[in-house]
Amino acid sequence: MRSLLILLPLAGLILLNLPGGLLAGLALPAVAALAIFEIVLAVYLPTAAFPALEQVQQLLHLSTPLDSLARVLLLSIGIVMLASLLVLHATVKAQRRRFNVANVLLISLMGMNGVVLVHDLFSLYVFLEVTSVASFVLIASSGEDTGLEGAFKYLVLSAVATVLMLSGVAMMFLFAGSTDFSAVAAALQNNSGQLLLKIAIGTFGCGLLIKGGLVPFHGWLPDAYQSAPAAISVLLAGVVTKVSGIYALFRLGISVVGLQTFSPVLLAVGALSMVVGALLALRQNSLKRLLAYSSVSQVGYIVLGLGCAGMGGPAGKLGLAAAIFHLFNHTIFKTLLFVNSAALEQRTGTSDMSVMGGLGSRMPITSTSSAIAALSIAGIPPLSGFWSKLLLIIALWQAGLYAYASLAVFVSVLTLAYMLTVQRRVFFGKCREDLLSAREASGGIVLVEAALALVIIGVGVLMPYVMNSFLLPLKGGF
Amino acid sequence: MNNPNWPIFAIFGLGVVLTLGVGFYCVMVTRNLIRALIGLEVLTKAVTLLLVLCGYVAGRMALAQTLAITLIVVEVAVMVVAVSLFLGIFRRTGSIRSTDIQNLKG
Repeated sequence: MRSLLILLPLAGLILLNLPGGLLAGLALPAVAALAIFEIVLAVYLPTAAFPALEQVQQLLHLSTPLDSLARVLLLSIGIVMLASLLVLHATVKAQRRRFNVANVLLISLMGMNGVVLVHDLFSLYVFLEVTSVASFVLIASSGEDTGLEGAFKYLVLSAVATVLMLSGVAMMFLFAGSTDFSAVAAALQNNSGQLLLKIAIGTFGCGLLIKGGLVPFHGWLPDAYQSAPAAISVLLAGVVTKVSGIYALFRLGISVVGLQTFSPVLLAVGALSMVVGALLALRQNSLKRLLAYSSVSQVGYIVLGLGCAGMGGPAGKLGLAAAIFHLFNHTIFKTLLFVNSAALEQRTGTSDMSVMGGLGSRMPITSTSSAIAALSIAGIPPLSGFWSKLLLIIALWQAGLYAYASLAVFVSVLTLAYMLTVQRRVFFGKCREDLLSAREASGGIVLVEAALALVIIGVGVLMPYVMNSFLLPLKGGF
Repeated sequence: MNNPNWPIFAIFGLGVVLTLGVGFYCVMVTRNLIRALIGLEVLTKAVTLLLVLCGYVAGRMALAQTLAITLIVVEVAVMVVAVSLFLGIFRRTGSIRSTDIQNLKG
């Protein structure tokens, strides 16, 4: 059943591009249907598969059972893809461009599903590259100067990351004689003292840190997010960098290398990203750029949790659960914030905060949902972001990492500061004269905003239920 | 490691490291987009060589060849997208110097 997640987008791509353009009008509904299929599959995951698909799964190295982490990621991909499609429908009116973007979205969807599902280092590289190439095209799809520039910067750094990752894969291949996760993991166990293997892990990890946009490798990320068209920045910020950088890092740590080997590095990089991202976000004028730096900062939290997981013991397990929970929460509230910025861009034509002001009375739903997301990202109870940060800080404290725990609390305050700045500059106060004609964003965008805001509140309020049914299994899952 | 192929790995490994050095130097120093692309290609070639070399030393030549061919195919796709981006940049700004395209800051 899982291989359908890779095969269906491919089949869709062929069917949509049949000569004569018979099915071209179905492009957006087709992608939406695939996204919904993915959400359903992630939640209900049927165990029985068709015999014919079993062989494809063996071919793609999908034979190992899907763990909770992969399910969380599949759920996130489905949700964000749906949100991005609705924003695309609302912001792009030209039929031809919609069709083109929908095609590349299908490729991107296939790439991300592949990254989540494969159990082989080289296949991981191939699907990462599929995702990246689709992202370059999507960022540049507006055809504007800034889009081309953002895509170019992403392309160069991504190519360097690829080179680093592949050198790592090659050196692991030297010892394991195969690139399968379990074979490499066994080879790492047997040759633990080898310098080459340490270099291999280092270069592979560095490549993933570039793809995830962590400080000091974050240079491309704000440019890419800021220059991408509205619908695409929703997708990029919501899942693409999470899947291609952070998820792959989780996977490498859990299934291949063993987190304890590089836990000090992860802790340091995570803390650095957290602080630098938040400080840079404070001084931005462009809303999308501010949100991009906020992404760097929040991804720092996730990596900090991953580093804590490497400390082992009950605190480590709690740290891992908190990191995965924060990954999901971050997907939801960052998607919501970028949808808000898309709504503002639709009505004011810019994402520059210095020309906005007092829009709260004109766009009540956008304003309210933005406030909910802002409070959640800053960790205000009872919203979802509070719980994941609380769990993370408890885990850090229990692991004896008092300095990192206090730093996480401190950055929460910085987060609140820059998110409230956004609220004040964009939504609060008296409406500016030139914006009096602005009205609430169109139906699709408002629908996404309301739904995601409800998810944030729901996960926060129903925390005891989420804890028992979702997080406790995660703790024991590895 | 008592592999008889170890000297071969050392010699070719040195070549890989040198090629990587040339590639990284090229990507970092040049201000010309096409040259940056050539630098990236050199880097990729170094990695392809490393992959084949590791396959040879590990005695898994067939698998290494498959991986190298896949790598070449993927790389072509990346380069096509890169060149089309540069073409777009050239058509809009009339320049392929990276110093001329710095609108995004902050």
